[in-house]
Amino acid sequence: MSALSAWWSERSKRPLAVAGVALVGAALLTWAPVGASAADEPVVVGRSAAAKPAYSQTKRLERVFVNAAGEREVQIQNDVTVTADQTRNLRGRQRINIAWKGAQPSGGRASSPYGEKGMAQEYPVVVLQCRGVDSASVAAAQRLTPETCWTATNLQRSQVAVSRGAAVWTKDLDASADYRQPFSGIDPNPASCKSAVVPDLWTRLTPFRPLKGTAFPACSSDTMPPEAAVGAAFPPAEVAAFTDTEGNGSIQFEVRSDVENESLGCSNKVKCAVVVIPIVGLSCAQEESPATPVDQACRRGGQHLPGSSNFAGQGVDAAVSPSYWWSPSNWKHRFTVPITFGLPPNTCDVLDSRPATGFYGSELLAQAGLQWAPAYCLDKKRFKFQHNQMSDEAGFNLMEKGGGAAAIVSSAHERKGDDPVGYAPTAVTGFGIGYVIDRPNNAGEYERLRLNPRLLAKLLTQSYLGSDLGRDHPGIKENPLGLMSDPEFTKLNPGLKLDSQETGATLLGLANASDVVEQLTAYIAADEAAMAFVNGKADPWGMKVNPAYRKVSLPRSSWPLLDEYIPKTGSTCRQQNPAVYFSQLAAPVPTMRRISESLLDAWPNVQTKCEYDAPTALYKVGRVDRQSYGARFMLGLVSLGDAARFGIRTAALQAKGGSYVAATDASLGAAVKLAEREKRYGAFEISQQDLRRSTRAYPGTMVVYTAARLRNAGQEDADKVAQFIRVSITEGQRPGSGNGQLPGGFLPITKRGVTAELYAAAQEVATAVEKQRPAPTPKPSGTPSSTPSTAAPAVDAADPPAAAPTGVAPSAAPSAVPTVSATTAPVATDPTASISSGTASRVMPTLLLIGLLGIALASLLRFVVQGPRRR
Amino acid sequence: MNRPSTRHRSIRAVIAILIALGCTFSTPGTAAAATYAQIEGTGSTWSDLIVQQWIADVNSNGMQVVYTGGGSSKGRKDFSLKSTDFAISEIPYQGKDEQGNADTSAGREYAYLPIVAGGTAFTYQLNIGNQKVRNLRLSGETLTKIFTNEITSWDDPAITKDNNGRSFPKLPITPVVRSDGSGTTAQFTTWMDKAHPGPWRKFFGKSGLTSYFPRKGRAVSQAGSDQVMNYIASSAGNGTIGYVEYAYPLDKDYPVVKVENAAGYFVEPTEYNTAVALTKAKINQDKSSPLYLTQILDGVYTNKDPRAYPISSYSYMIIPTGKTDTRMTTAKRQTIADFMFYSLCAGQSKAGPYGYSPLPLNLVQAGFQQLAKLKTADPKVEVTNRDVKSCNNPTFDGKNLNKNLLAEKAPQPEACDKTGAGPCGTETGQGGAKPADTPSQAPAAGGGGAQTPAAGGGATAAPGDAPTDAAVPGTDPAAGDPGVVTDDGSGTTTDTAVFASATELEASRPADNAPFGWLAVGLLVALVVLPGVYAASLRRRPGTTGARR
Repeated sequence: MSALSAWWSERSKRPLAVAGVALVGAALLTWAPVGASAADEPVVVGRSAAAKPAYSQTKRLERVFVNAAGEREVQIQNDVTVTADQTRNLRGRQRINIAWKGAQPSGGRASSPYGEKGMAQEYPVVVLQCRGVDSASVAAAQRLTPETCWTATNLQRSQVAVSRGAAVWTKDLDASADYRQPFSGIDPNPASCKSAVVPDLWTRLTPFRPLKGTAFPACSSDTMPPEAAVGAAFPPAEVAAFTDTEGNGSIQFEVRSDVENESLGCSNKVKCAVVVIPIVGLSCAQEESPATPVDQACRRGGQHLPGSSNFAGQGVDAAVSPSYWWSPSNWKHRFTVPITFGLPPNTCDVLDSRPATGFYGSELLAQAGLQWAPAYCLDKKRFKFQHNQMSDEAGFNLMEKGGGAAAIVSSAHERKGDDPVGYAPTAVTGFGIGYVIDRPNNAGEYERLRLNPRLLAKLLTQSYLGSDLGRDHPGIKENPLGLMSDPEFTKLNPGLKLDSQETGATLLGLANASDVVEQLTAYIAADEAAMAFVNGKADPWGMKVNPAYRKVSLPRSSWPLLDEYIPKTGSTCRQQNPAVYFSQLAAPVPTMRRISESLLDAWPNVQTKCEYDAPTALYKVGRVDRQSYGARFMLGLVSLGDAARFGIRTAALQAKGGSYVAATDASLGAAVKLAEREKRYGAFEISQQDLRRSTRAYPGTMVVYTAARLRNAGQEDADKVAQFIRVSITEGQRPGSGNGQLPGGFLPITKRGVTAELYAAAQEVATAVEKQRPAPTPKPSGTPSSTPSTAAPAVDAADPPAAAPTGVAPSAAPSAVPTVSATTAPVATDPTASISSGTASRVMPTLLLIGLLGIALASLLRFVVQGPRRR
Repeated sequence: MNRPSTRHRSIRAVIAILIALGCTFSTPGTAAAATYAQIEGTGSTWSDLIVQQWIADVNSNGMQVVYTGGGSSKGRKDFSLKSTDFAISEIPYQGKDEQGNADTSAGREYAYLPIVAGGTAFTYQLNIGNQKVRNLRLSGETLTKIFTNEITSWDDPAITKDNNGRSFPKLPITPVVRSDGSGTTAQFTTWMDKAHPGPWRKFFGKSGLTSYFPRKGRAVSQAGSDQVMNYIASSAGNGTIGYVEYAYPLDKDYPVVKVENAAGYFVEPTEYNTAVALTKAKINQDKSSPLYLTQILDGVYTNKDPRAYPISSYSYMIIPTGKTDTRMTTAKRQTIADFMFYSLCAGQSKAGPYGYSPLPLNLVQAGFQQLAKLKTADPKVEVTNRDVKSCNNPTFDGKNLNKNLLAEKAPQPEACDKTGAGPCGTETGQGGAKPADTPSQAPAAGGGGAQTPAAGGGATAAPGDAPTDAAVPGTDPAAGDPGVVTDDGSGTTTDTAVFASATELEASRPADNAPFGWLAVGLLVALVVLPGVYAASLRRRPGTTGARR
């Protein structure tokens, strides 16, 4: 809440704004996440976790059998508590955290719990989104029933033509007589489902009732709503989630509005709910004597051990599977979590004929750009803003050439043109090392990953062997296969599985140049132990750097693939497709969005799959398969904005003295405090050296700038850029999910507090951009002062020879020195170039000249003026 | 004075009431022009980069689009299985694919809609010493022979001839092809089959195109355009050449082959050259043909304009047009219509920066004809005012449709790009010259490597500047440029000079930084110390001190 309240106190001092602010504030307060079990929740920058869950309820769930004698036998009795962290004013595709305890431990974990793939499990917790109010007192049309619950396939809601022995729902203790019919669920049976009526086979349909129009019978994939599909590009949200052996579990459930799912139709006006059904097994009606096969099937208790996996997709006991969530004894165990959707944001008109003005550059701003854009097109006084994502460098070049009004970058870039460029701070965010790692024995996700620069250096330099294919790599044969077998990693992150996977050898990164890569490699470069490793010193456990990357220069803006080792194997496929194994492991991608998606799907981009493709009669290489739930291990470089948007966990990174810092409001703020600006209108630098002196600053912190020309930009563009800077630094910094507000993953920039300097700088640059007339000489503070000081020794060096003799010398020396330094000075001040060898090369000629002059003078004086020396 | 202020007041009151009403009554969807529902699709990676940007753009219009790539073949298949609302593909349904498997929409009604144009670029890594060659040029014939394993070494006479006598090292050529079902492969093989059937058909064993490149011999295969790019750009990539959409090398700052066109010029697949080439694209208007409304590129391959890039093509969106399509609703159709209206018009303006080429008028018009079918299927779909006249497309002016602005602006190739001349020293893979830059193109490129401090500090800007810089690091005498370029002594000297400065100075610098830095430190120390020592030594000579004065 700190960010919010800071903003509040700051803004409410303006009387004029009070009214509007009050409204927005109220909206924000209601929006603000109320709830969540705190500790195991990923912390989101710019979003404070609330203390109390928004929904919490406990119920006693029982599985009851009625035996042949008509006696009730309670088989299972669980007191289950379900909580949800947020339930109000949600937006489409928002993820809410649903957690439970006291549930029956699950068994036979499926490789993916979503949609129809999650059906082959035992004792899972089914989570669905349904429309309506769960109360008998509302009109039937508004009531929540299994028929208003969404599933992506008909297999999840209907049982079509199964044998008598498998028709377990007919034995449900709580089922009405209707369920005991061979064909039930819909009456009359429509023509499209005639084929579902088969003699001697049993069918139960759970039609889907859309918000508008007639029900879909759901007897086949053709009789499902338009949004339903097997293997759709848009993944299903409903899930059969896993409970660990302690009875606990949690899931990030993605809710969908009427935009994503028109048939389900949830909106600010249509009430909906998330329904959570912990499966304890069907309760069974009185057993016949002797027991029939279906009696036995109803009473089965599972064939997979608690905590076990079922990646092979073996059969499960129907009575304890999620497939019958709609059967009355399961359905009555439901927890109904009512949710409300916020007003959908107003949207721009596609027919708006104003051409959009594109700002090109950094993906770090992507999530903010999405929320900001409508605040521009909807306001006639503003221009139509578009953020075009590309590499910082490409965006900067486009801006310099006039191809884009402004660039979105996150560091100072070398100018290629003559016009000065101003950097206006626009957002504080950064990168994260995103991960998805499962703990052993299906005990849930690992939540506290810690990484240090040396581990990152090991990953980036491809120093892990990956698998046996890397074993013969020259120079590093003794190295571990992956993080899991590296003692440094396991010491830092105890309690993980130790068996190696190829994905433990790689961090999915960017193929193209980016300021993010620059910052990440600067973090490594600032660490002594990491650099010692990169430069060839083995770590304390004897692991050595891949010789191909030994002494690779850091930091750098793009990461090269330098290894050349092609494994020798007996595999025909690999012989046919010889490839550099480590490059296949790394397989970087062009955008961070792709990395986030890979993490979300737990689908590594590792390209080591090599197999024979029968239809084309070719051996082919390609991407490995998705990882199975329970066995996931993947790391990737993500933006904090994406991490917040998609709920991706990010690792805590090592700071000073072995402290580990996660990305939070406080840690980003601590980093911003260290930011320094060398000159007016320039970019701030958060130096990794400074960061490493702090125990609280997050090393991945980055400031995103709007960079624009201060001269020759064209007034129309200049005005737009100035407007953008001003709007984004004020209303664009209000946290929230509405139009124009700041999404999660960003630290709000405020007029006061740690970001005050950024705020002031943005305002200043906005004015300068608007004026298109740079101030005469920037007030020297940083770089300019360094130039004179390096120049000074040059004069000193020239001094002795010039001063020693008398006569002609004085007239020659002074005249020579000023002219040289005069030509040097302007060149040295202006460019934002690197200070390293650039300065040297500029000062060198000067020194050389002065030195030579001095020598010449001295000799001249000695030999010519005073004549040759006597022997 | 009084009247205006009262009027203002009343206007304000009216506005206030209107706003209040708006707050009360405006409902989402009805307030906006249209109601949208999310659409989802799969397909081409060739066009993925720009499609993702369009999806981000229309988000502000309230449109949700999910696109997950996967290759053209997958896109067509998913569409036929009704798993998706649209597909993107470089080639139409083939009826039967080359393996005899069905490649049809399985009865789902559809239409093809051109969405973005681009050039299939050939990117490569070829090093001479420490320098990357950045101005390679090849004829279509040579390219075909390279990918059909007939030309296997970079010192092949055919390559030398294409480069006007400039020869390259004896290094085996490694073609990098796609392993997945790919529209890029289909585009490339279509062109080989049409333009150079001899070598291609001999290699393929039959005629026609394929989505699955028949990898043989030294060639390696990679899944996806990005992995082809990774392979070529890696350390192990020396000697490789592969085909990808131009956007990929552009993003990676990697060179592309200048391909010889029908007019005898070697050109790069810039947005301009692609746009010029596609003015000769035809659309199959034969309603009885299964390829109705798909591209006929024969005229593109043989376009006589000196600027035309021969292997230019465009991607299609496959949209569902059936009245009773079970996946379709009015809101979804409206989303497709408006997403495409944006993409065909304003969205095309960013094609250039992203390495694609905007669609010219003929294709945009064809696109609108296809979109109209959505309204035929469902009269509730709104398509008014969505036409070429209200289109913010950069290739034409809504008021004067006969002009292809881009083709008019497109710069002519340099004289040194002509067959038998040159080669030009300019770098490729940089997005090409902007039209205004044309005359100054060569010097500008020469300065590309001039971020080096030495050049900046030298400040004399003489023509000899660049070569001097090249000499400073002094680590790669092997790359002695003149020897490379003027192998037979016939190379044009001016071009040679520009090329000599080439490009990779910057890339080869990092390794030189340390020694150069130490050298600088040494010199600095020497400068400070030596004069003094020298002066002192002069003074300290026996006898001098005493003898003075």
